[in-house]
Amino acid sequence: MAQFLQAAIIGLSLGAQYALLALGFTLIFGILGVVNFAHGGFYMLGGYVAYSCVALLGVPYPLAVLIAVAATAALGWVFELFLLERLVDDHLATLMLTLGLYLILSNGLLQTFGPLAMEFRFPVSGAIRLGPVYVPQENLIVLAICLAAIVALWVVLYRTDLGRGLRALADDRAVAMAQGLRPKLLFPMAFALATGLAGLTGALVTPILALSPGVGDPVLATSFLTVILGGLGSLQGAALAAFAVGLVEAFCSVYFGGSIGALILFVLVLLLLVFRPTGLLGRTVRGA
Amino acid sequence: MRNRISLFGWPELIAVLLLSCGFFVPMFTRSVLIYSVLNQVFIGVVAAQSVWIMLRMNLLSFATPAFMALGGYTVAIAGRYEITNAFVVTAGAFLVPALVAVPLGALVLRLRGTYFVLVTFVLSEIVQLLIFETPSLTGGSDGISGVPPVTLLGTDMATNRQVLQFCCGIAVLATVVTGGLTRYFRQHFAAIEENEILAESLGLVVWRYKALGFVVAAGIAGLAGFALVSMLLTAHPSSFAAAIAVDFIAYTIIGGPTSILGPLFGTGALVYATNLFGTHGQYAQGLYGILILIVMLVARGGIVGTVGLLFNRLRGARR
Repeated sequence: MAQFLQAAIIGLSLGAQYALLALGFTLIFGILGVVNFAHGGFYMLGGYVAYSCVALLGVPYPLAVLIAVAATAALGWVFELFLLERLVDDHLATLMLTLGLYLILSNGLLQTFGPLAMEFRFPVSGAIRLGPVYVPQENLIVLAICLAAIVALWVVLYRTDLGRGLRALADDRAVAMAQGLRPKLLFPMAFALATGLAGLTGALVTPILALSPGVGDPVLATSFLTVILGGLGSLQGAALAAFAVGLVEAFCSVYFGGSIGALILFVLVLLLLVFRPTGLLGRTVRGA
Repeated sequence: MRNRISLFGWPELIAVLLLSCGFFVPMFTRSVLIYSVLNQVFIGVVAAQSVWIMLRMNLLSFATPAFMALGGYTVAIAGRYEITNAFVVTAGAFLVPALVAVPLGALVLRLRGTYFVLVTFVLSEIVQLLIFETPSLTGGSDGISGVPPVTLLGTDMATNRQVLQFCCGIAVLATVVTGGLTRYFRQHFAAIEENEILAESLGLVVWRYKALGFVVAAGIAGLAGFALVSMLLTAHPSSFAAAIAVDFIAYTIIGGPTSILGPLFGTGALVYATNLFGTHGQYAQGLYGILILIVMLVARGGIVGTVGLLFNRLRGARR
């Protein structure tokens, strides 16, 4: 039973991290119609910015996380405004642009910091006993911050004019523009919001898992898995799917080991893509 | 009808002739470095042609590493049973991925655009995980080492020179097949690329041509995997990681997606540039990224398209 609970808590913690990543990824697709291959790159960048602030500049970790969010959001804003915006209606071109950015980001980080993993540790350590199981404190803190960020994103999207504008553009861009909404102003903000979320996840999670130039690839694969399961462009779907993916991964690694969990998830996603491309919730948000 | 029976045009002929020059390289040099670079070019060209076939139908495929793995492991497993005849293993490396692509195509070709990109990415990840999960067949994470060299007319293709000429032969064969397919069905593929729904409404049986393209692209990727295993004499999962699809897509896009010369010039330029960095080969991915941005923003035709455009402008200016 203790093993089951331990796996469930790890799964929830993973799910919250995946949710932050997937929400950013699906937000970009839902609003701009762009598949962001650079999402893993922004995650990495968030981790490296936080690391640099803490290790090189001596900035306290919480402030370093905020700087990482600001840096990744700023880069996302600039990239969308000056490059992506020029080809925003061409799915293939935007995909290639984000792929190009990912290659530049990952290679730039590799050149700057080298191929080895960084010594980057979460400032809080130790475990809390919850009944029969021990839970690492850092996991609980990350879980709490991730949940808070998800709630904050929900508030921004559903309780502010900015969110209403973004959702209107996602629903029907022509009508939204006729109502006076300006995509050239709002699209870079949406992109910045999403890349900021990726940067936040990177800054929070890389001290617990690992920080090296290759960490963006699995993040991209996980983001793909999650948003396809939830339905491309669906925020609620992405959040639910993220927790499902986290729990499946955790239980499979505890009870089966190896990469069986990932294989099951990928096969499930392949079948979903083929037979139900709108995802588990079955809601069409944007035709891909 | 006249166009339908035209199997080869100038671009296809130039591509075959350029690649065939590889046969004569050993007459001029014995440099291991040059042999290595040329082998990389031949393998890259074949893999990029697999991407290019699908791009002719406006489908961006990340499945190339998956089919390369099928072709490469087919040869490696055949080697365990001492099946090394070049004709047999070449046929196997083409047919096994092509046959696997038949049922897969029936599933994934229902999708278009972004969903097709995602499903092919997922496919490559699944094949990679399957390799790890089937160690008795594929050697798992260790792969299959000590693959025997293929034998051509009783001679082992074992020396550097023989490996180079064999890889060159594979590249020429792949170019003939790719060129023949895309030239013969040029109008069909162009109609699908332009507007699939309109093409279907005008009576084109779209699924038939998409399936044909997908199956042949899988076979071509299998040949690339075969050439890679023949060069390394090892089939290892890292050689077929899903992420390497990015390289082949970069070769195709940067070379120019409008002509069969695109994958050839794109691969040649990028592999050469990568090797120019020498010990700093890790810069290559960053270079690919910068070039992808430049091509997408200012030169959508890639190297071949841009050169063609400049040539036409010069010709127009002279008139």
